[in-house]
Formats: sequence, C-alpha cells, structure tokens
Amino acid sequence: MFQNRMEGLALALPAAVFAAIVFLVPVGILLSEGFRAEGSWTLASYAGFFESELNRTVFWRTLKLGAIVTAVSAVIGYATAYSIVTLPPTARGRMIGLVVMPLMISPVARTYAWIVILGRTGFVNETIVWLGLSDTPIRFLFTETAVFIGLLQLFLPLMILSLISALENMPKDAVPAARVLGANWLQVFVKVILPLTKEGLVIGGTLVFTGSLTAYITPAILGGSKVLMLETLLYQRVTVANDFASASIIAMILMVMSFSANLLLKRLATARNKR
Amino acid sequence: MFKKLLASGVALAALSGAAQAADKKLVISVYGFAQDAFKEIVYDPFEAQCGCELVVETGNSVERLAKLEARKDDPEIDMAVMSTHDALSAARKGITQSIDVSRLSNYDKLYDIAKDPVGDNMGVGYTFYATSIAYRADEVTIESWADLFQDKLKGRVAFPNVSTNQGPPALYMVGKAIGDDAADLKAAIAEVAKNKDDIVTFYERSSQVAQLMQQEEILAAPIGRFAWGAYSKMGFDMAWATPKEGQTGGMNVMILTKGAKNEDLAYEFMDFWLSTEIQTKLAEALVDSPANSEVKVSDEIAENLTYGAETVESLQLLDPAVILDNRETWLSEWNAQIGQ
Repeated sequence: MFQNRMEGLALALPAAVFAAIVFLVPVGILLSEGFRAEGSWTLASYAGFFESELNRTVFWRTLKLGAIVTAVSAVIGYATAYSIVTLPPTARGRMIGLVVMPLMISPVARTYAWIVILGRTGFVNETIVWLGLSDTPIRFLFTETAVFIGLLQLFLPLMILSLISALENMPKDAVPAARVLGANWLQVFVKVILPLTKEGLVIGGTLVFTGSLTAYITPAILGGSKVLMLETLLYQRVTVANDFASASIIAMILMVMSFSANLLLKRLATARNKR
Repeated sequence: MFKKLLASGVALAALSGAAQAADKKLVISVYGFAQDAFKEIVYDPFEAQCGCELVVETGNSVERLAKLEARKDDPEIDMAVMSTHDALSAARKGITQSIDVSRLSNYDKLYDIAKDPVGDNMGVGYTFYATSIAYRADEVTIESWADLFQDKLKGRVAFPNVSTNQGPPALYMVGKAIGDDAADLKAAIAEVAKNKDDIVTFYERSSQVAQLMQQEEILAAPIGRFAWGAYSKMGFDMAWATPKEGQTGGMNVMILTKGAKNEDLAYEFMDFWLSTEIQTKLAEALVDSPANSEVKVSDEIAENLTYGAETVESLQLLDPAVILDNRETWLSEWNAQIGQ
C-alpha cells in the first residue's frame, strides 16, 4: 500500500508518540517505583509485599474469585450462548439485546441493587425464610459470596457475547454430523463445539478474568474491608496511607495476572489444537 | 480617532483594575464536603468583604496533605483545614507555621479545647464533633461501649475501620469499657477481633452506615455526630448513646502554611470563619458544629450538632500526638487481627 515502510511508520508516528507520552511513560514511572528502594533497583519490595499475611490472603482471594467467576461464567455462558444461536433470527436478536442490556446500566447502580436484593430484608432472604430453608435471614452482604454474585452478574454478558459470536462462526452441520455418527452430547461438546469455539472462550475468559481482577466498585460495595481484593487494597493503600509504592506493586501484580491468564488460556487452546 | 483612543484607554484602565483585583488572591484547601453551603455562607460573603479572589481546592485529607508537602518550598495554598492529627503531621513536616492568635479578633470566643489543640498554635479549632453509638432504641439498649458486642447485636452491628477518623476514637472507648485504654489500643483491637464475625462490616464512609441502618441490616454503629441528621429522619426509634465511659470525637483545625504568599488575607479569612455570625450560620445549616462559644442556636438545631459547653467538655478526644505516633502500629495490629 505504501511506497516504502517508512511512510507507514511516519503515519503511525503521531499516534505512537501520543500513546507513549500519555500512557507508556506515566505507567512506566508508576510501576518502576515498586522496583526502587533507597535509590537502587531491587525486588525487595515485592518480597516484602508477599511477606505480609494480609497481602497473601488478598492475593489468593483475588485469584480464586477471578478463576471461579471465569469458570462459572464459561459454563453458564456456553449453555446460554448455544440456546441463543439455535433460535430463529428475530428471537436471537431480541435475546442478544437482553444479554447486552445490563451492560448499558452503570455498574454502580447494578451493584447497589445487589445490596437491596441480598440484604436481610431483601428478596433473596425473604424467599429463603418463606420457604423455610432458614429460620433467620442469612448474611450475604460483605461476604465472598456477595462479591462472587456481583462479579458474575457484571461480567457474564461479556462471556455470553464472545461465545455467541464463536458459535455463530461454527459450521452449521458440525453438531448434527457428530450426533449422526453416534457421539453423545458430552462428546459433541468436548470434541466438536469446544475446539471450534476456543477462540471465543479465550477472549471471553480473558475479559471476565481481567474484569474480575480489576473491578473496584463491586468488591468495594459488596465486600467492603472484610473481603479485600487486590483492587480495593490498592485503593486503601493510596487513599489511607498515601503509600504509592505498595500501590504500584499491586498494579504490577494485577497486570502480570491478567497477561498470564491470557497466555495460559491461549496455550490451553493451542494445546488442544495439536492433539 | 480621539474617541477610539479614549475608549482603548478606558478599556486598559478597566483591565488593569481587574488584574489588580485578581492579584489579591487567597488559596485555601478544604474538605470536599458541603461545598455548596460553604460557598453561600463563607466564600461568597468573604470575597465581597475583601474584594479579593478566593480559590478553593478540595479533596480528601491524604491527597491534600500530600499536595501541601509536594509544594512545601513554593506553597500555592495559603490556608487549609484538616483534622488535628493531620495538622500535627503537617507541623512536624515543617509545612505550617505558628498562628499569631493576637491577629484573630474572634480567638477569645472559642471554647478552650479549640484554642490550641495541636500545640504551639499550629492550628486553631473551628469545629468538632462527638462520636458515639447510634442505635435502634426499640431493639437494643446501649449504656456502654462494650454493649456493642451484646448478643442481640451479633450480626447486626457495624464498626468503623481503623483507617477512618472514627476508628481510633471508637477503639479507644472500647478499650476504656474493657478496662484497658493503653495508647497501643491492643486490647481494644483484640476485643473487636474476637467479635469480628459478628460485625457486619468495618465501614469506611459514614453514608454507608446510614444505608445499612435504613435497610435494617444493622441496629447499632459508632458514628460521628455530623452524620446524625440522616438517622433521626429514618422513621425508626433511633437514639444517640451516652455511654458511661463518655463520648469521644474529633476536631478540625485551620492551619497557615509556612511561606504563605497571602498571609494577611489568610488571617482575615480565618477570623471571618471563626466569627459568631459565620459560625452561627454554619451551625444553622447543620454544616459544622460551632467552636465559637458565643454561638446560640435553637434546640432543634442543637439536637443535630455537637453543641454547648457541657457537651464540649465531656468529649474524650484522642491526643493528636498519640494518633500520629501510633497510627502505623494500630494499622498493622488491625490488619494482622482483623484485616483478613
């Protein structure tokens, strides 16, 4: 398209300079703070971060909740996405509209709604008591369960949408063919649907996992200081202790976790391919 | 031609006049809270009085303190308001200077505890608040800070996080109630830790507690009196505890930055804010409880404030030096026992 590479590069230069100045440089400065102590480069602050039991608990909790939310949204996502793509076009459009709708509502409003729904006098507890499953209301708020429910509701649509587009690109005859050849539903899913839609799963999984790690509002409102996650811990370090060094360490850990998750999911997808 | 010259001359004069007015500028740093009311009651009338421009910066205390420290050698902010322990921290860092109280005509009207709460006149108190327990009188009775952990409140009580301004004073009173009020707050933190599964949440914002109370999620919580207005309007039988160990609280002070470029204006502004007229208006708008002892308000207004000599004297405030010197220890003790 261009006479030589230089022209192309020259056209990309303004955007690259802009991105470098407003994004890469500040992020670099912020993150480098975690590797510096008394003027020299070191990993000591990272070691120090993981020495604290609270920090370790928060790290594992964040990883655990992120993984569970991703796994559960994948299971629900496949079922929902498969049932949507098999619908006739008009109904499919409507269903996709319903899936997208929560994304148009602010996460703050959605999270506050959960406070009302999960509270002692909320819908969930009133149903539980009415059904006689428990004599007294169950405490959901400020527990990991509440954070899990909030995050799942927040990010499930992203998984469903990724899987819908993956399933739509799957050859229409693949599933009937496998069934005719005697595969049961489990085999169809594992040997046909999963390999053909793994790209969608990787994209959806990365979005949901990264989203769960970096969500702030939901863990802050539904978990509070009793269920600290890395993101809420980061906020606490900055606003309470003005401790930017710890904050930059947490930011770096979050970035590493997101990139690793993406690489891991991609690796899983290609490994299956080779078999 | 002449007309044009004249017109441009007039325009020039007008411009330089405007420039002079803008030269007279006071920069203050305040809490982000109730800024509409402050603008109406304090800022606009002061601008009219001094014929100067008032620049207001807002933010949470950590941010504002960090900013003051960063600009220590060339301060852009002349005057700021903050908690007593933040003021002491600023004083120790050499950000602030001693206030010449003889230049404040309203100084003698202040309650004694507001006169020099930080030491060396490094801050003058302009408001304070009581911290006690707000509770549902139809469900429980609270006569001591230890009553927060009674059986009826298991799973129905919130407690302030140690990182909030309410946290340490509330812990201090719990310590008193269990008979150990050492400054390290170890016994109190251990007592809270023992009950942590029965505490719904360790709140970080007072608005959060109001919501939990409204939703009947909790029946009691230690709160600052400044938030009480919302509780009395909830339609429940809400009460403000007067525990036998007493009430605690906090105070906010005005500070003057070292090397302030507009010192005279800063003094004029502080004196204006401390005047009986302005303190009365702020009290009537339920913005800040008055530190000026000459302020008189109706019973209805007083109900929502920390008001009157008797109340003021009964407050068991934590010494700012104690807060500052122990804060890190409290935080690590809290994180080790409660944070996880």
